[in-house]
Amino acid sequence: MKKKFDIPLLIAVLILIGFGLVMIYSSSSIWAEYKFQDSFHYVKQQALFVLVGLFLLVLLFKMDYHILYKKSNLILGLCFLLLILVLIPGIGSVRNGSRSWFGIGSFGVQPSEFAKLALILFTSKYLSGANHSLKSYKKGVFPILLVALLCFGLIMLQPDLGTGIVLLMSIIALLFIAGIDMKFFYIAGVLGVLGVVVLILIAPYRMDRITSFLDPWKDPLGTGFQMIQSLYAIGPGGLLGMGFLKSRQKHFYLPEPQTDFIFSIISEEFGVLGVLIVCSLFAFVLYRGIKIALHANNLFSKYLAFGFVFQMIFQALLNLMVVVGLIPVTGVTLPFLSYGGSSLLISMISVGILLNISKEQIE
Amino acid sequence: MFTKKIDTRMKIVLLLFLFCFVLVVGRVFYVQVFDYKKLSDLAEDLWSRNLPIEAARGLILDRNGVVLADNLTTTSLVLIPNQITKKKEVSEKLAEILGVSVEEMKKHVYKKTSIERVHPEGRRLSYEIADKIEALHFDGVYLVKEAKRYYPYGNLLSHTLGYVGIDNQGLSGLELQYDKYLTGKQGAIQYFSDAKGNKLALSDIYTQPQNGMNVQLTIDINIQQSLERELSNVVDMFNPDMALAIVMNPKNGEILGMASRPDFDPNHYQDYDTSVLSRNLPIWASYEPGSTQKIITTSAVVEEKLIDLEKDTFYDGGSVQVENARIKCWKAGGHGAQTFLQVLQNSCNPGFVKMGQLLGKEKLFSYLDLFGFGEKTGIDLNGEGEGIIFPLSRVGNVELATTAFGQGISVTPIQQVRAISAVLNGGELLTPYVVKAIEEPETGSVLLQNKKKVIRKTISKETSKTMRMALESVVALGGGKAAYIDGYRIGGKTGTAQKAVNGAYLVNNYIMSFVGIVPSNNPEAVLYIAIDNPKKTALLSSYTTTPIARRILLDIIDALKIPKQEGGLEKDYIWSDKVYYNVPNVIGKTKKEATELLEKFEVEYSGSGEKVIAQSPESDERIEEGATVKLLLGD
Repeated sequence: MKKKFDIPLLIAVLILIGFGLVMIYSSSSIWAEYKFQDSFHYVKQQALFVLVGLFLLVLLFKMDYHILYKKSNLILGLCFLLLILVLIPGIGSVRNGSRSWFGIGSFGVQPSEFAKLALILFTSKYLSGANHSLKSYKKGVFPILLVALLCFGLIMLQPDLGTGIVLLMSIIALLFIAGIDMKFFYIAGVLGVLGVVVLILIAPYRMDRITSFLDPWKDPLGTGFQMIQSLYAIGPGGLLGMGFLKSRQKHFYLPEPQTDFIFSIISEEFGVLGVLIVCSLFAFVLYRGIKIALHANNLFSKYLAFGFVFQMIFQALLNLMVVVGLIPVTGVTLPFLSYGGSSLLISMISVGILLNISKEQIE
Repeated sequence: MFTKKIDTRMKIVLLLFLFCFVLVVGRVFYVQVFDYKKLSDLAEDLWSRNLPIEAARGLILDRNGVVLADNLTTTSLVLIPNQITKKKEVSEKLAEILGVSVEEMKKHVYKKTSIERVHPEGRRLSYEIADKIEALHFDGVYLVKEAKRYYPYGNLLSHTLGYVGIDNQGLSGLELQYDKYLTGKQGAIQYFSDAKGNKLALSDIYTQPQNGMNVQLTIDINIQQSLERELSNVVDMFNPDMALAIVMNPKNGEILGMASRPDFDPNHYQDYDTSVLSRNLPIWASYEPGSTQKIITTSAVVEEKLIDLEKDTFYDGGSVQVENARIKCWKAGGHGAQTFLQVLQNSCNPGFVKMGQLLGKEKLFSYLDLFGFGEKTGIDLNGEGEGIIFPLSRVGNVELATTAFGQGISVTPIQQVRAISAVLNGGELLTPYVVKAIEEPETGSVLLQNKKKVIRKTISKETSKTMRMALESVVALGGGKAAYIDGYRIGGKTGTAQKAVNGAYLVNNYIMSFVGIVPSNNPEAVLYIAIDNPKKTALLSSYTTTPIARRILLDIIDALKIPKQEGGLEKDYIWSDKVYYNVPNVIGKTKKEATELLEKFEVEYSGSGEKVIAQSPESDERIEEGATVKLLLGD
């Protein structure tokens, strides 16, 4: 008899990916036509990644994921190596101001994306083994934090704040559920606030950066630019939206609308209904993912499942909240929906592993 | 179980995240519902480009609705550089058609702007050139309609109307003063474009331009044309330094006409000197008024009951000594014994010196203040002068004497007209005005309506009545005879003022003026005309200005449809004057009877028969002695 797994999760993810392809076409066709004389340029590339992603998803679904447990040190080591290599001019290439890419033809691979997965893998293994020593900061918490901060630091050298935040927050979230004393978070919180205050005191312009999302019209051509363009998509769309393909902001107003700000175009074309559907799908993925983690029959898979779900949904929320103007612009993609190969691949790998873990529970 | 804590904390994260999703959906809902209007408007501005359509400027009309400042529709070239695909070809073709260098044209075509006007070569294109551009059918090359100001009557009322610049902005006169009202609201063709300026396939939105308000004046075109015609004649005949004329309704302060020379054509204002453009003489010029000022002196004396014009007498021996100055009468040897009414009729200076002395300087100068000399009249036009009145402390006996007959003070024409109007209308000093109303052309709603504005009372109704009679007698019996119009009661006063420059009077350089009133028993119009330094003429206003004034008065009678009056003073005829008689009724009379009745006229017969069946002019018309009466005979 065939093994059962979490089919609803797979369906939700496939809907998101399919909708993503449609929206990448809608949002990018104008730019693609302008830059490449081929309105399907980005969709074609993304479709190729979807195929590769599906292959990886199936692969990771079928394989014995405990191999990952054994190889996690090696995988993380490899990722560190790549993170260092990508910083070297000539090897890593610069796109959008960050040296975070290995260019292969017109494709690009971001090692930081893979590092996110590798670090979760490593942390899950670490935590599942060192459960009892977490009581001691010195022996339990600090070593793993050090690894995470090292990784964060390397990513910040590119620089890529968004990916860095997602990576660091995922590890902190894992530490949280692993049961570290709340005192740790209080102290970390206070230190964090103090750090921000000090940074602002040193250079007051940072305050403007933070507040510019509250009133993007203060600097409409600088820090507020993307925010304003995003609001010009969301607002005039209205509750019902402009209709599929009818976005106006994609006509060169919103830069690269198929990447970080694809959600603006979704709300512009489909209104609040589209937003509700996308959010529901993500919430559903979150719910199924947490369910898998809850029912995981060993600590490693519990941490792993939670880590992947957290990372995916945290990134999604980070993106959505930026796009709708709830937090300052950080620059992360929307998983499954945004154009971008590496991001899609690691999301699908995560889903593959999640489905793999779900297999065991139903048996 | 030891994972229980882990599971609890995972559930906390789940709830936290779900809450965040609700937040996101809520935020989108908020933005799309509450910020919708604001963001839509802002985004619309971002997406749309406007091709402006100029509104037609409001018209300026005379009191009867005749258009004095009109609009012509012209075509202008507008480029949208982002939409021009064949930039090089467009530059070359347009350069060729407009006659500019290709380099110059390229600057426009390649300019990084959303909308580019080719200025000034591309403005106000002729139909021929517009057709050529139209025929090219280039993308991004548009022809838009523009309204251009046009003054159909050329020089008529030019100083008061003013003129506009190339962008239809008022630069002077009423055009400047009422620019806010005359300027309409630009309309536009709004189209949607992408961030690179390309037109999107969305329908255009047309916003109709809103035309400016119409300004209706108190001016009567017929009276104005009469003034312009006569001043042109004056220029031809006398070649004066300046000439001006005003007609005002003394009952309410409406200006019925005002003109000056030198003048200009507002359609081509660039061709004129700024001193010509800026000086609206009837309100700007300031000079010694001369004898027309005697009206004010006489009014003061009558109001103060110091003399009875008809009973009190004065003996003019030809001159009078005031301190070191000998003031002569214009008539050598003097006028002899005369009533003060005759003093006014004869414009006898020694008689006015006497009146001044009777009044004293405080009284005379308080009347000058009362009649508004030395202060702006407040007419609704820019560039009004104030005139100069002696400060009382510097007035000695000589100044008192000269001021009484109109020398030594400086006044503006509009001040004189206003003061004389007050003398005539029962004593009310009014604010003169030229704008009757401002109207919204489509709805006809009135935004501004000027009405009679009384500043103060000057003299009593009785004095005013006496003065009307006195001024009628000047025309019928005195120096204003040449203005007499048979059948109408005309009042008036001539003036000949010596011009002073730097305190010394110029030789043979005078300002000749005339005040005319019609009809003098119930004045409808006050005419003031002044000619500065006329050449080749007798140096008396009676010969220079008065015949001109008479022609204008006739036109005013026509324009205002003033009926004939009964009970006027009969003219005191001199041999050269023509005599007028009423035509008797001869219809039904025989040829012989008719000839006898019409003995004072030439008679022309036509038709055959025994009796007169029709006559022209009809009975009771007044015609000159010896004029022809045509009779039709029949049975």
